[in-house]
Amino acid sequence: MPPMLQFLIRRLFAAFVSLIIITMVLYAGVMLTPAEARARLYLSPGRGGERATEAFINGLIEQYHLNDPYIVQYGIWIQSLFQGTWGYSPTLRYDVLEALLDRTPVTLELAFYTLLLLIPLGMASGLVAGWKPGKWFDNIFRGVAFLGTSIPPFILSMILLAIFYVKLGWLAPGQMDIRTSMALERSGFIEFTGAMTLDSLLNGRLDVFPIALKHLAMPVMTLLLFHWASLGRVTRSAVMNQSGKDYIVAARSRGVSERHLMWRHALRAVFAPVLTSTALSAAGIITSLFIVEIIFGLNGISQVILISMRSYPDAPAALGFTVYSVIMVIGLMFILDVLQALLDPRVRSEVLNQ
Amino acid sequence: MRSARVFFSRWQNWVGLLIVGLFVFMALAAPLLSPVVGEVQGAFMLVGRSSDRMPYPPSETSPLGTLPGQVDVYHTLVWGSRDTLVFGLSVALGAFLFGTLIGAVAGYAGGWVNSVMMRITDAFLTFPVLAGVVFLQQLVAMTIESMGGIYWFNLGFFGRVVDFQFEPPPFAVFLMHVDPVLVSLILFSWMPFARLMNTMVLTLKKTEFIHAARAIGARPWWIIRKHLIPNAVGPSIVLAARDVGSSVILQATLTFVGLGGASPWGILLAMGRDWVIGPGGQLFNTWWVFLPATLAIILFGVAWNLLGDGLAEALEPTSTVKINW
Repeated sequence: MPPMLQFLIRRLFAAFVSLIIITMVLYAGVMLTPAEARARLYLSPGRGGERATEAFINGLIEQYHLNDPYIVQYGIWIQSLFQGTWGYSPTLRYDVLEALLDRTPVTLELAFYTLLLLIPLGMASGLVAGWKPGKWFDNIFRGVAFLGTSIPPFILSMILLAIFYVKLGWLAPGQMDIRTSMALERSGFIEFTGAMTLDSLLNGRLDVFPIALKHLAMPVMTLLLFHWASLGRVTRSAVMNQSGKDYIVAARSRGVSERHLMWRHALRAVFAPVLTSTALSAAGIITSLFIVEIIFGLNGISQVILISMRSYPDAPAALGFTVYSVIMVIGLMFILDVLQALLDPRVRSEVLNQ
Repeated sequence: MRSARVFFSRWQNWVGLLIVGLFVFMALAAPLLSPVVGEVQGAFMLVGRSSDRMPYPPSETSPLGTLPGQVDVYHTLVWGSRDTLVFGLSVALGAFLFGTLIGAVAGYAGGWVNSVMMRITDAFLTFPVLAGVVFLQQLVAMTIESMGGIYWFNLGFFGRVVDFQFEPPPFAVFLMHVDPVLVSLILFSWMPFARLMNTMVLTLKKTEFIHAARAIGARPWWIIRKHLIPNAVGPSIVLAARDVGSSVILQATLTFVGLGGASPWGILLAMGRDWVIGPGGQLFNTWWVFLPATLAIILFGVAWNLLGDGLAEALEPTSTVKINW
């Protein structure tokens, strides 16, 4: 088996183990509630909320062994998760897993455009700033980055909305304005995924693409400023650690140009610490994604909890959402791990020699 | 004393200390700074008819204007600093105590106990806080409902409504009085403390004075309390200082998007949002619905961050590197 494949399998297995541990912790939390409450996780459509009688709840307790020891209950629950029955959400009036899957493309769309801009911008500015600390670019960078990490995303999004939407009218919140979406519906526009930029390409409607971008711009800008600042800072301090190292000095004395040194040698060495610190804050990145989605009214997966927190209790939606978002975080960490192995020569050789 | 000298040698630390001191002063002197005249609910004071949906500019009776519904901005700003400080400090203290304890115990026990406990700690790092907060609130709701109570989320900005047709059982009363956002923020921010303490303890365990303590027959708990924790506590204090600011910002965010929490400053922004980003709203025409609360939240976060950075530098025994920003 090629070493890279071995590495991938090992990492996938580690991710799976994390998922098992987390679901065990989650279900331990669920176990703190009385059995009658746990039975509500298994309510089927049409039995939402107060309509479930005591006899019906007792039947569910019997059926899912909800009075048995923790490990039995956990086994039954995790089995049903893997079978795709994540419960029925009474507030959404929908199957939880289906509701989450339907909304995933919108969330991924936002994440995609953010990462597309974030990684080059954050790393490049951190690199330039850290290469010559104390110079004019570094000073500007530090000022803007301080601002970026100080302004909470929800306040920044209000400022952006007030300027670009209310005042100037250049950009818009939501996914599509009502007039365009009605016109699209009449012209036979099919919503394959719900992610409008992708849908416009799939439908062959290039005129819709810029409109979709107009609606995506503000959420992307909000996420970008916040995470750009922290990514740039991490890169900057990593570069500052590298710039005095022997291999840089040696390469410089061999006559390697300064530009080449910076963009080839230093950049490569910086990937590992930057990706590690990004992986550690993966949960924070996903949380900010959800918050920005909610503020700009995008129909992403955070919509599920937003609806579930509006009226009566809806534990299946919250539990399903938690498991789903943890899977997203683990997935992001996995991708960053693999990227690190691919990009960093030191890590790569370590992987291949194991 | 060396650390105090390092701390006070940088102007950033002075700024941080000054702003934090200002907020503490505001919290302590709230009754003097903004005496209660009128109808009060928590940190909010009504200065007119609540049906009046017009935000009025600053006047003599309300120095920073009013929000739609005639809530006095200045009053909430001053009295809200109490709730905010208490919330931030409790989250930081709770996470600090819980994480430190777990990290120290795991590190002291060592072996497979240590690896299992640290694996669970790492697992908590993959929880998005938002999901955790919602999950815990739903668990509480579910429990109260299964006890025969009626539970509604989010009526107005003031959180939840719980109603019992009969005398509620003691556990339900307890749940009704606990702030789920506070608990979940503690539950999802203790991990860095545990990891930090764990590494410290694992290193310290190999040092001679711990061996000596063991040799004279000290009990494990005594060693943890008297030797391990005091020696490893410095960096945790730095983390805790930053946590005060970030937890308050998170609480305000959650309040603003309507996922629970009762941050007074967050509620100010949520109440005024229609006059900032609604139709006809403008950032600078009705600045008082937006600017005071925003500045309070941002300054609170910045100040605790500056304080944390200053402490990090001062408490680091071999610090020669400056934190550059």
